[in-house]
Amino acid sequence: MPLDRAEAPAARTRLDGFLRGVERRALRMAELSTGNRDEALDLVQDAMLGFVRHYAAKPEADWAPLFHRVLDSRLTDWHRRGKVRGRWLAAWWPARADEDEEDPIALAEDPAEAGPLARLADADAGQALDAALRALPLRQRQAFLLRIWEGLDVAATAAAMRCGEGSVKTHLWRALNALRAALEPHR
Amino acid sequence: MNEHPDWTGEARAVLEDSAQALDAATVSRLNQARQRALAGLAPQRRPLRWTRRLAVAASLLLAVALLWPDGPPTAPGNNTGLPAAATLSPEDAELLAEGELELTDELEFYAWLDAQDEHNG
Repeated sequence: MPLDRAEAPAARTRLDGFLRGVERRALRMAELSTGNRDEALDLVQDAMLGFVRHYAAKPEADWAPLFHRVLDSRLTDWHRRGKVRGRWLAAWWPARADEDEEDPIALAEDPAEAGPLARLADADAGQALDAALRALPLRQRQAFLLRIWEGLDVAATAAAMRCGEGSVKTHLWRALNALRAALEPHR
Repeated sequence: MNEHPDWTGEARAVLEDSAQALDAATVSRLNQARQRALAGLAPQRRPLRWTRRLAVAASLLLAVALLWPDGPPTAPGNNTGLPAAATLSPEDAELLAEGELELTDELEFYAWLDAQDEHNG
């Protein structure tokens, strides 16, 4: 969005600072979704362009959810395109139980127990967490990353994911349980 | 009180480490992507836009002047002495055609200038 000449330099500086602060996490989020760094870089660049074009003039406090809204939209589109491309493989690869109901009792966390990452060496922890996050369905992964890593609150995460706050809580709850279950074997 | 399980703090730290450990080539590409996005932040140059619109309006006035060098055509039976449009000589018609062509070129030029303006800021 074009800005008035007088305010353009200041706006550019603020936007530069915001994007500089968020770009690395955005790239890792995209990389966890696509499994490919080049694809992730393209998606983050697209998201930056879309964010600057449409939301640069919005209040600074809204930038984080708006940027992630654009990025989330690009990631969703990327997955849709992938599904179309991979449709012919569906007969050979069984579909992942994306949103299947899980047994909440079996997956419920024991608060007294140490976390699943606590006993892992640093390098192993990174690889294990990456693999566990990649295995999550897109919406669960996004809910986890936006709430836990990016630090957005429920409302902002819902705005970024274009869904209701209840959906965010459900996705996050499932993500936490799935991650815990996936990381337990690494104890 | 933390609303999330304690181990999510460890997960956040592991993820943050991975983001800070990106290689230099990737960081450079991120920087380029950011600069490209920020290049879209173009200040508007409204006075120039109005100048161009004024120029287009002047071109239209010139075209009208070429169309009716002696004023608007008169109705049949009007004895003011002014020629009707139907009585334009072939030379006038040719001149008029050239004028319209130039005007079209001018309009395309101004449209291109506007586009460049939007593109370059």
